[in-house]
Amino acid sequence: MWDFIVDRRSQLLINAFNHVYLVLLAVVFATIIAVALAVLVTRMPRLEPLANAVSAIGLTIPSFALIGLLLPATGLGDTTALVAVTFYATLPILRNAIVGLQGVDANLMESARGMGLSEPAALLRVRLPLAWPVILAGIRVSVQMSMGIAAIAAYVLGPGLGVWIYTGLTQIGGKNAVNYALTATIAIVVLALLLDLLLILLGRVTTSKGIRV
Amino acid sequence: MAETRPSKRVAAKRSGLGAGAAIELLGIPIIVLVGFAAYAWWHSVADLDFVEKSSLAWGDVWLQIWQHVRLTLVASAIVVAVAVPLGILLTRPRTKFLAPGVVGVANGGQAAPAIGLLVLLFLWLNGDLSGFWTAILALALYGILPVLRNTITGLQGVDPTLVEAGRGIGLSGRAVLFRIELPLAIPVIMAGIRTALILVVGTASLASFINAGGLGGVLTAGITLYRYPVMVAGAVLVALLALLVEWVGRVLELIARPKGI
Amino acid sequence: MTATEAAPSSATGEVSGAEIRLEDVTKVYPGQKAPAVDGISLTIPAGEIAMFVGPSGCGKTTTLKMINRLIEPSSGTIVIGDQDVRKRGVDELRRTIGYVIQGGSLFPHMTVAKNIAIVPKLLGWDDDRIVKRVDELLDLVSLDPSRYRDRYPRELSGGQQQRVGVARGLAADPPVILMDEPFGAVDPITRQRLQDELLSIQRELRKTIVCVTHDIDEAIKMGDRILILQEQAHIAQYDTPDVILGSPANEFVADFVGAGSSLKQLSLARISEVELRSATTARIGERTAEVAQRAQANGDLAVVVLDDRDRPRGWPWLRQLKGETIVEPTEDLVNLDSRATLNDALDTMLSNGHGGAVVTGDRDAYLGVVDFVAVTDHMRDMQARANQSAAEAGSETGGTRIARSDDEIDHGTDLAGTDG
Repeated sequence: MWDFIVDRRSQLLINAFNHVYLVLLAVVFATIIAVALAVLVTRMPRLEPLANAVSAIGLTIPSFALIGLLLPATGLGDTTALVAVTFYATLPILRNAIVGLQGVDANLMESARGMGLSEPAALLRVRLPLAWPVILAGIRVSVQMSMGIAAIAAYVLGPGLGVWIYTGLTQIGGKNAVNYALTATIAIVVLALLLDLLLILLGRVTTSKGIRV
Repeated sequence: MAETRPSKRVAAKRSGLGAGAAIELLGIPIIVLVGFAAYAWWHSVADLDFVEKSSLAWGDVWLQIWQHVRLTLVASAIVVAVAVPLGILLTRPRTKFLAPGVVGVANGGQAAPAIGLLVLLFLWLNGDLSGFWTAILALALYGILPVLRNTITGLQGVDPTLVEAGRGIGLSGRAVLFRIELPLAIPVIMAGIRTALILVVGTASLASFINAGGLGGVLTAGITLYRYPVMVAGAVLVALLALLVEWVGRVLELIARPKGI
Repeated sequence: MTATEAAPSSATGEVSGAEIRLEDVTKVYPGQKAPAVDGISLTIPAGEIAMFVGPSGCGKTTTLKMINRLIEPSSGTIVIGDQDVRKRGVDELRRTIGYVIQGGSLFPHMTVAKNIAIVPKLLGWDDDRIVKRVDELLDLVSLDPSRYRDRYPRELSGGQQQRVGVARGLAADPPVILMDEPFGAVDPITRQRLQDELLSIQRELRKTIVCVTHDIDEAIKMGDRILILQEQAHIAQYDTPDVILGSPANEFVADFVGAGSSLKQLSLARISEVELRSATTARIGERTAEVAQRAQANGDLAVVVLDDRDRPRGWPWLRQLKGETIVEPTEDLVNLDSRATLNDALDTMLSNGHGGAVVTGDRDAYLGVVDFVAVTDHMRDMQARANQSAAEAGSETGGTRIARSDDEIDHGTDLAGTDG
């Protein structure tokens, strides 16, 4: 297997890079969308049950089914993969962001406003930083999930390591079938764990010392 | 008596589910019913060519629904049969030191992509096991973690003074487990089982890649033939089935919850 | 009659408890050098309440839990009745020892009836007997069976949960009951009630009760004997409450019992020693006019309303009696058990506006009414007698003890002045 990897190392690196790039891009979009929606929900609490229901029902829909639904609109390739991964990545972050933003002590917000911070300033400088650890926990869940969904999206010609898994499947019986699938699977696991580690580090750096546990 | 007053308030609260839970519990069957009716209506009026018609023939679709349900049920049953006893074992005084290790390994395993696991098992076991059982194995491996983790956290979450009270009045260790710890941990365990059900029913849509059947078949056919009606129909059917299974999970959760908690 | 004679002898039922003997019992936890319990020996006579008190970490709970082997002793012997606890199977042993802990520790997924029925079920009682027993016990702890048996613990208040906990401990009629801070989780008024109820139950059942508490007042009120423990469960003193109050064995005990210990002797004198007045009583459903007539003849301004089992339910003023017949009172009447202390009596009187309190005996049955004057008279008598015996016996301990009760009466009236 080692020879197999060495022979195809540049291809492996490209696939790995594409996989991580797809996931990170999707998670960045997802974070922006989720936090924006969560801010909306915080201002209109009546939307909360709806948001939670959407998030629960959304996670129930198998990713393969969503990919099938997207195809007529976005076609084979990268776009479908990105949209599908972004959709799933949004849901855990949304749930955590709602919990996190609402968990900020109302008295604190009132005193921030009382000190003369405008509403957007209070949101950016008080509410978001305090909710950040919870949001980040949602992002970690998102990244783990997205790594697997990105692999499935390779079936509709999405980028990344999933390509090799399907290559292995189509070459069944061939001498490299297992090598392709195994290398890709292990690479996804390793990258997922690495990304998780990076996010933990990011959390340490970006979380205010005052609320770090 | 003054002492009875707080109880009434609590009793009134018990009947009310959260608004979100109510939306999901009532909304899901409605979505599924309406969705399926819409599909059936579309199927009867749509102008389909020969290829599309044969891919969406009712007989084949029903067979695939049945295969999908069977994959989900068998795999989930195995998950419960393995993960719950294992979780119990990992919370007993003599073996609980193993729990962090097992959960750590299981957590790491969760990062493995479902499709990779499925394809690898298929490549390794090709010929030794039928596609069905290979899929079952992959689905069960995938679904064990949430149930195992929730069984452990559920049992660990039982108030230790209740366990001691049980032992103190003369219940044996086994009686405490079955009559106090497990009933009190049921809500958490059931949440894990519901999560596993969702994972399993979703992953089962990939089973058609390894010839294990299931509704993924319609979808893959649609994608390989590149027929929009077939792929959308397949996607809709998979999604409806998944929603239905998740709803069943919710209902089971409600039924299994012991009164009084 | 002095408190000394009154406390243990006021019990009325047959002794159904068993003697507990600890002989040189030691517990060393693994990995710790110093023993948690270091060679304790003591005997708790059958049918008595022994209160274990001491600073936290003194080993009182460990000692208690070794009796039902929730904690296994490292060495030494514990005998209940005439049986070594280690000669019996753990679970079988525990089924014959009641166990009541703080907050009741009811199983939240079981109804009140199921919680109480656990041990009888384990012992293989038949269903009819269990149903009857559950109702009987609920009645005993003053909870209406029809109303409470099918409730879940979370539908009960803290005090009610604790009552059910006591009922569960009594379920299989064990000779010995262990209690670990049983009333620690409830408010003071409920605690006093629960204490009174337990004393009333004990008067009837006469179990051997071992109770851990951190509250010295509770120990003085409840205990036939008090065990005061120092570090590593070394016995500082083990004696009746009045001896401990009157002649503390050493400085540790004196400190622990506290500077206010003369005031604490108010906790030794019981209502049962005070002469009760019989007030006008009325039954639910009686004609109001007749009741009013009777009360006026007696010179009473209020009547005690009793239910069909002689339990006082209300104490309305005559002017509050409206309607043709006496209806079931809605007020939450705080009664005094006849074993309540004068301390409790003063508290209760100050809170109800009658300048007195309704006293109940076994099963909460009406006994009479005690009023403020009767209590202060009794205290004055105690003082007079004490002075007399002090004069006769010189420096005898009893004399010095009661001589101190001069200031306790002052305290009592002060209390009335500030709180009332």
